[in-house]
Amino acid sequence: MANPIELLQRFGKNFAISEIHEQKADLTFFKVPKEQAVRLLRELRDDAGYTHLAFLTNIDWIEKGIFTLTYMLHNYDARHSLGMHVDLERDNAEMQSIHGLWAQAATYQRELREMYGIRFPGSPRLDEDFCLEGWDQIPPMRKEFDTAAFSLERFYSREGRGTEDPREHMKGLLYPTHTDEPSSGGQ
Amino acid sequence: MFEPNPPVDLSSGKYLKLWQGPQHPGITGNMSLELTTCGDEVVDCKTHVGYLHRGFEKLMERRTFIQNFPIVCRIAVPEPTFNEYLYAAVVEELAGIQSPERAEWIRTLNLELMRLASYLMWLGGIGAAFGQSTVYQWTVTHRDYILDLFEEMTGARVYHMYIVPGGVRGRLPEGFEGRCHEVLNRVEKLLRDVEKVLFNNVVFKARTKGLGHIPREMVDPYGITGPNQRAAGFARDLRKDAPYLVYDQLEFDLITATESDTYARAWVRYQEMHQGIRMLRQCLDRMPKDGPFQARMPNVLHWQVPAGETYAKAECTRGEYGYYLVTDGSEYVRRVHVRGPSYTHAIALMEKLAVGTNIADIAGLMVSLHTYPPEIER
Amino acid sequence: MSLKDLISPFYVWQRAFEKPYTQKRPIEDRPGAPRYRGFHMNSEDCIGCGTCETICQNHAIDMVPVEGLEQRSGDSGLRPRFDYGRCCWCALCVDICTTRSLRMSNHYAWITEDPDAFHFTAGTDAMPWNQNSLGYRRDDDYHLLVHERIDMQALGAEESVAGFDEVMKGYTEEQAVLEADRCVECGICVATCPAHMAIPDYIRAVRQRDYEAGLRLLYETNPFSSTCGRICTHRCETVCVMGYQGDPIAIRWLKRAIVDRVPAERYREILGDEVVENGRKVGVIGAGPGGMSAAYYLRRQGYAVTVYESQARAGGMLRYGVPSYRLPDDQLDKDLEYIRSLGVEVKFNTHIGRDVPFRQLIEDYDALFLAVGLNQPSALRIQGEEHPRVLSGLQVLDDVASGRDPGVGSKVAVIGGGNVAMDAARVSRRLGADVTVLYRRRIEDMPADPEEIHESQAEGCKLVQQAIPVEIKNAASTSQVTIVWGEAEMIADDKGGRPRPVLQEDRMHEETYDCIIAAIGQGGQLDFIPAEYRDRIEFKWNKFVPGEYQQTGLPKLFVGGDIANSRADAISAIEDGHHAARGIHRFLTGTLDG
Repeated sequence: MANPIELLQRFGKNFAISEIHEQKADLTFFKVPKEQAVRLLRELRDDAGYTHLAFLTNIDWIEKGIFTLTYMLHNYDARHSLGMHVDLERDNAEMQSIHGLWAQAATYQRELREMYGIRFPGSPRLDEDFCLEGWDQIPPMRKEFDTAAFSLERFYSREGRGTEDPREHMKGLLYPTHTDEPSSGGQ
Repeated sequence: MFEPNPPVDLSSGKYLKLWQGPQHPGITGNMSLELTTCGDEVVDCKTHVGYLHRGFEKLMERRTFIQNFPIVCRIAVPEPTFNEYLYAAVVEELAGIQSPERAEWIRTLNLELMRLASYLMWLGGIGAAFGQSTVYQWTVTHRDYILDLFEEMTGARVYHMYIVPGGVRGRLPEGFEGRCHEVLNRVEKLLRDVEKVLFNNVVFKARTKGLGHIPREMVDPYGITGPNQRAAGFARDLRKDAPYLVYDQLEFDLITATESDTYARAWVRYQEMHQGIRMLRQCLDRMPKDGPFQARMPNVLHWQVPAGETYAKAECTRGEYGYYLVTDGSEYVRRVHVRGPSYTHAIALMEKLAVGTNIADIAGLMVSLHTYPPEIER
Repeated sequence: MSLKDLISPFYVWQRAFEKPYTQKRPIEDRPGAPRYRGFHMNSEDCIGCGTCETICQNHAIDMVPVEGLEQRSGDSGLRPRFDYGRCCWCALCVDICTTRSLRMSNHYAWITEDPDAFHFTAGTDAMPWNQNSLGYRRDDDYHLLVHERIDMQALGAEESVAGFDEVMKGYTEEQAVLEADRCVECGICVATCPAHMAIPDYIRAVRQRDYEAGLRLLYETNPFSSTCGRICTHRCETVCVMGYQGDPIAIRWLKRAIVDRVPAERYREILGDEVVENGRKVGVIGAGPGGMSAAYYLRRQGYAVTVYESQARAGGMLRYGVPSYRLPDDQLDKDLEYIRSLGVEVKFNTHIGRDVPFRQLIEDYDALFLAVGLNQPSALRIQGEEHPRVLSGLQVLDDVASGRDPGVGSKVAVIGGGNVAMDAARVSRRLGADVTVLYRRRIEDMPADPEEIHESQAEGCKLVQQAIPVEIKNAASTSQVTIVWGEAEMIADDKGGRPRPVLQEDRMHEETYDCIIAAIGQGGQLDFIPAEYRDRIEFKWNKFVPGEYQQTGLPKLFVGGDIANSRADAISAIEDGHHAARGIHRFLTGTLDG
């Protein structure tokens, strides 16, 4: 097989491939713009032997305001995997569907719609509930969704719970007056 | 590749909506099939999941690297250790830790025992789905003998929490090898009996041959892996193609079939059990008996893994099981994606294969794909 | 369809007569495997550090006070309480347990009608499995914590005796981060530290390489951080939970790791130099660690502070009692200069009583803090000790610190087992002498820091234990002196105290030396306080017995340091000064009565 870097360079003539990173001998990551992604996936599948879509998932980079989709492709003959990154605007995220390339992608896209709120127009049953039923909160895999706050609000804790910090506990009992700092004049 | 099933006009009175699951005994775990039938024949199938959704991937984002170790096993109940191994593998890779050789052998032993236990449960399932419940009782008992081994090796029967990032959690108990050989002998004897009672059974053959045929062309477009694709003639197995742990030092045959129906898939798995026993015996005889079984670790309480990403995969009983880990240099996971083979087998594939199947065979078809709902929902 | 396929299934009957596999629970017992992860057990070794709670990803553990269990130094008095509604029996709590007190039994069945019963304190609540001998415990070769301390580079013994260069070289940044990483941040040490320094917090600052934050944390409780980072008696390390299975965290060295990375010029910028004068003035007697600590915290509050020091330089025992190979002068100056830079005035070479009457101070100032230390060597109380070749350890150290030659000669005997004795011995080694240390008890009984004992031996000092001096005699030469000492047997104390050395009269030795250095302890000198005041102050063994906030019976007088506590170390003096500053502020703002 062609060396994956050479392969990506070859595709690089027609696609704006960037951030190539060889994680290990059989796994290389790279990034491609959203508009070119699906066309590239088709070419990788049909012309370069990357026939297997292992998964499609998303990473939330909330501080940068982007979602990064990862398409994990595998070439069985070359025994090599490619992780393709596509950045989306975090607000109003939308991506072309690839259910026409791999049937199982429809399920992944339906899950990403539910868990992150990413839209994939045309993807079958996209808006049907996947894991969640009657969910009325923001999509839960988004980083701003706080699971602990949610569960504290929805569920009650066992009575009689309550903990003490060893350091504070010892302070209160062993040397209470050694910590009452007067309000500082200088600091 | 995606072709929707033909539309059905429910108001015509020709059809019946039928829910199989989520508690139907023919379903492998809690999920449900929304079937549309016309007489005995299924004309449409929709898989519904969500009964086991616990949000593991989200929970892992707010736990430290060591705190994730006890929860990952719960992602696939009958076969938890693949989660433990793959989580350890991705964390070790990004943290630059190499687990010692002895640990690698113990991990292989652990995973192959798990495979055998999981296959035994499945073998009972496929027997029961076609009316051979005795096989179920036999195999579940023998699975319990393996769980006894796990109990003494790891301290727990199901959720072992034994393969920890850095190595394994303890040495093998005194005399373990002997007891393990004994259990393997019993299982091997049982398998010969099961071959007579199930695989050479006129009823079983009649009902499974030709059922749920997966055409070769469907394999890659549907992301089908594991025995489901090997029964369709693909000689692909991660233990051979991308050997991890000590698989490159073990002798075993890659089992394939060509018929790609329920019987072929069952037969492939049955033979893989024999290969598994072969590998386990090699492990027991050849594994190092001393030396470290844990790499030198930092203080795990505030363990920061350098920023990076990787994907590690292993051949579990159902196919390609994988962990995709993204780290940002903090003490917490940025993102974990768990790739379970059932994700596509139980949804895209099942929805396709169910159409045209007799309603009585749906449970058997489902079992023949060997799916575990918890790994779909995570 | 073959005939075989029709007949073969009937093979099923072959197993029909086998014994059932089922186990008859609960009629028959079925114990868990020897390493089964069953219900939790906790032994008396638990010290309530709460690391189990920290690692529990289920929030199944609370640390709760247990009735009848007293908290003490090194034990929080809390114990883990398990909520079995949340526990998943992963045993990470067992793996991380710093004392290995937490374990699991192989007991796994607990049946009750009360759903709230599944909530118990392991080890202290009576549970049926508390005596189980089997169950999960951590394998000896499996660790989630790092038990070995990161070594610090030090001068070799040969190099160190060649001069007065600092022996310990300090951690590199990488070493410091690795050492800091070992800390579990339980905070047990904070109660034991006399100054209650924010130890886990500043160790975290080292781990995060944030030295400015680290320095600010240090100065919250200790303005002698460069000094204490080198010579502190580090009581904290004796209770460090990491010491139970390995080496305690090098807390002292990590404190040094912070100050070593912040140049003195940046102190004012990082710690601030603004003082808002409050118009009141406080006098301090003694510019040692206690006095200067009080001066620092009082100055921070806006008091005008004047310190009276009898010596020519500040630092007290740190300057004149601690040799520079342990504490270089410039490091002590780094601490002192910052305090003085805030406007603390120090009057040197001023003896209270001789140059300034005590009465004048107590009348002139709004409050007075006294920390004059112990500077009178204790007498050996044996015949002949007034011999001119019997020197005092303090005098030898003072001479060396002041640049004078103490004239120890080439063959020296040191009597004593404390830090002054060790320092006098090591200083004599550096001056080229052969040194023998005579101590009345065993080496393990020596009050000196273990490091000092170890280093003095490495440097070639000969330690003779169980040696009781009996008499000092003239030697043949007037420049020499002879000592008679006898071997001692350690006799167990009937009342449970520590063993007592008893002289064996038949095993006496006589040896001649160029000098004998007596270093068996120090006492205080308080004659400068007029009787009319002394009568109102409580003393015990010629030391102050201060009340709350270090206040004495003379409401304006606060005391601290070696003259007012039994620990007689720098860090205790520093805390006395800090605490007295709190007290003086309260006294002068009306929240502490006279």
